Amino acid sequence: MSVYFPQKKLPYLLVLPQLIITAIFFLWPAGQAVLQAFYREDAFGLSQQFVGLENFVDLFSDPLYYKSMLVTMVFSFSVAFLGIGVALWLAVMADRVIRGKMVYQTLLVWPYAVAPALAGVLWWILFDPNIGPIALFLDRIGLHWNHFLNGDQAMILVVISATWKQISYNFLFFLAGLQAIPRSLIEAAAIDGASSFRRFWDIVFPLLSPTTFFLLVVNLVYAFFDTFGVIDTTTQGGPDGSTNTLVYKVFKDGFIGLDSGGSAAQSIVLMAIVGLMTVIQFRFIERKVQY
Amino acid sequence: MTDLVLKNIGKTYPNGYQAIPSIDLVIEEGEFIVLVGPSGCGKSTLLRMVAGLETITQGDLLIKGNRVNDKEPADRDIAMVFQNYALYPHMTVRANMEYGLKNRGVPKEERQAKVTDVANMLGLDELLDRRPGQLSGGQRQRVAMGRAMVRDPKVFLFDEPLSNLDAKLRVQMRVEIRQLQRKLATTTLYVTHDQVEAMTLADRLVVLNKGKAEQIGTPMELYDKPATTFVAEFIGSPSMNLFDAMMTEEGIVLSDKTRLPMSHAHRGSVIWGIRPEHLQQSDEANADFSLQVQAVESLGAETLIHGLLEDGSGQPKPMVIRLAGPHLPEIGSYMWLIAPAKHWHLFDAVTQQRL
Amino acid sequence: MIENRPWLKMFSHFILVFGVLIIALPVWVALVGSTQPEGSFNSGSVPLWFGDHGVQNWAHVLFAEAGSTLQIPVWHLLLNSLIMALGITIGKIAISIISAYAIVFFRFPFRGAIFWVIFMTLMLPVEVRIVPTYQVIANLNMLNSYSGLILPLIASATATFLFRQCFMSIPGELVEAARIDGAGPIRFFFDILLPMSRTNIAAMFVIMFIYGWNQYLWPLIITTDDTYYTLVMSIKSMLSVPDGDIQWNYVMVTTLLAMLPPVAVVVGMQKLFVKGLVDAEK
Repeated sequence: MSVYFPQKKLPYLLVLPQLIITAIFFLWPAGQAVLQAFYREDAFGLSQQFVGLENFVDLFSDPLYYKSMLVTMVFSFSVAFLGIGVALWLAVMADRVIRGKMVYQTLLVWPYAVAPALAGVLWWILFDPNIGPIALFLDRIGLHWNHFLNGDQAMILVVISATWKQISYNFLFFLAGLQAIPRSLIEAAAIDGASSFRRFWDIVFPLLSPTTFFLLVVNLVYAFFDTFGVIDTTTQGGPDGSTNTLVYKVFKDGFIGLDSGGSAAQSIVLMAIVGLMTVIQFRFIERKVQY
Repeated sequence: MTDLVLKNIGKTYPNGYQAIPSIDLVIEEGEFIVLVGPSGCGKSTLLRMVAGLETITQGDLLIKGNRVNDKEPADRDIAMVFQNYALYPHMTVRANMEYGLKNRGVPKEERQAKVTDVANMLGLDELLDRRPGQLSGGQRQRVAMGRAMVRDPKVFLFDEPLSNLDAKLRVQMRVEIRQLQRKLATTTLYVTHDQVEAMTLADRLVVLNKGKAEQIGTPMELYDKPATTFVAEFIGSPSMNLFDAMMTEEGIVLSDKTRLPMSHAHRGSVIWGIRPEHLQQSDEANADFSLQVQAVESLGAETLIHGLLEDGSGQPKPMVIRLAGPHLPEIGSYMWLIAPAKHWHLFDAVTQQRL
Repeated sequence: MIENRPWLKMFSHFILVFGVLIIALPVWVALVGSTQPEGSFNSGSVPLWFGDHGVQNWAHVLFAEAGSTLQIPVWHLLLNSLIMALGITIGKIAISIISAYAIVFFRFPFRGAIFWVIFMTLMLPVEVRIVPTYQVIANLNMLNSYSGLILPLIASATATFLFRQCFMSIPGELVEAARIDGAGPIRFFFDILLPMSRTNIAAMFVIMFIYGWNQYLWPLIITTDDTYYTLVMSIKSMLSVPDGDIQWNYVMVTTLLAMLPPVAVVVGMQKLFVKGLVDAEK
């Protein structure tokens, strides 16, 4: 578009509401976070003391922080790979059927609308050591389940809950991606004698790779930042920090530990991570155009 | 009475690029003026300057004697038909046509009467309640024209309005536009890159090249007496055959083998031209030169023969001739040709201007 | 597929049905559990078929109180959630659409800088800057208020981006035609741009409604007065019961009620929702 209205003042008026909201609820807090990261508050919040980079030094010499990083990595990549794998499989199946495609889409898409916090509750019920049908079934076959005590089991529970919600999102993108592949390509491969299995790995999967990469980034971002609810309703970071992701730790240290300086320093680190991921995402979107 | 005057109009972009150095044009009431030229020649820019969609950086634009340089497009009393029609997709045909009147505060009954009138004239009555998405290309084109017509503007502006139509529809709409314009007698400025469209529609043509008006005149003036080699090549299809030549006392020397007697005061390098349709077949004795046949395009009513003119330089020059009726010369054979002197065109080799 | 092999199709259907069932399993168990009498869970697994306390449980939660730790009926929480979700949705759409309009259809000094400031909000979900944002809200005396629930969440680069993209695909000739037809920027916005963006606005509405409704952390930290609790976050207080004596049947009813509105919106407006989602990420 190269056509513009000539008015000079009107555009400022139009962006003003968004700028005000952004300034008050975003720039101001972000600035506060940066400031607080350099101060330390006493336990009663009465006095503040400038400590320079000490909060960051503390942070990066704290083994718990590294543990939290590891937990976040394990959690995020598990959610991303599991979610992408299952969704791709379902999408390929749905692309194959002719009748009922829309029905399947409807039946698979609704978990997107469920709040992460509620997803956590729903799976907790299934896995509750006292009343959960799955947990009790596992007990019967000799696998004792208690995610309140067992860190690995807690991790499995939050991964399943977070993935469950995200499958529908991935499924929609894969289905759209599959439908965008020209039929003639598949037909050409069939004439070249490729079996349906070969066709998928040689033609379909490479053509879907932009979608897959995009979803990988989106899923990682989701697992990083949007899964607070899942963790807070089910494990609250426990047991013993085994599901204490970076975002959850910011909240825990800030509101429960009342360590505003340490929490702010963590916020800064997280902001850097989000910034990096956003840049990757946008770089990728620019590149995607050529495909 | 003059309707539209462009006085020393020019456009320079903020980055210093001069799109249009200076153009003077006086348009009479009811005249149909076509701006024609290759893409990038500035014809659309000029039209949009008249419309008020591009700022004019130099000169004066007068509509009915009033200087309108700084007026909003809506206040210039012009109407425009766009290449992509620019119909509002969410409005019905009726609403599309009414919209400009509505914004001007024309009362509802008057608006509806006007729309009904114009729809009648264009055969759109049946389509008034449809949306643009439900119309064919030709119908959309007609609605775009209807939208321009309901306003009774002083000037119609057309920006390549037929280029999105298929060939057959284009011819039909061309005739229709001409008839309508005659009937309404509204001054019209029409931009196209298609020289056939330009020739058939225009009262007068403006041939633009790199932002400059190469020539302004009636279609036949441009055809008979092109002012520059650019116009000579642009107007007419296939385009004029042009050859580098020398003007000497004996006449024009095309090459060692071809000399055309002529007396002219000019001496030195010239460009000699003749249109394909003006070359005639003859016998060897009377011929001015011979042509080796390379390709024959039979179109039924006429035949285009592409050949090479041997000039002894070892680099034969291509030439096209156009003969009425069917001809089937053998590929590789020679044809003897006469170029009648009254159809010659001579241009200065340096300035490219007509001599 | 190219070959018409019936068993392949059967297999696909089988996998899909299996997937659908697994996905639906937790909701099924919650639904069945929500019809059981209190205390029926102490004796073992959640029953896999409906009990006879359905109406009783649902009515109790909806109109009496959500549970022993939350003595407030769920309809009140539903209302709060609705206010918050609609406030966020409408606010976001309104401010995003006008700022996108300014960015696409006008040229003005600092346009690039303003664009980048808005773009930066994309990088900072509220979860990341939670502590300082809380302090700002506290300073502004907006704890326990609807404006505190809504305003910090309506600055969104996502919506601005979507509208920007949608506006950029509108041909320039249409703007020119409107100018020639005598429409200024305001008239163009209301007469042409808004009606043309109807489906995009609707799609955005669906996505933002879900976003607003599902907010959890933000209402959790800025509301201490349960008259401002939203439905999704209230689940937390029903679960954090001393000595783990959770009233599961009420929790299940509340969970189902809390997911019902956004799920209904997604299923009911599936086409718009899918379009909005896929477009937003392009």
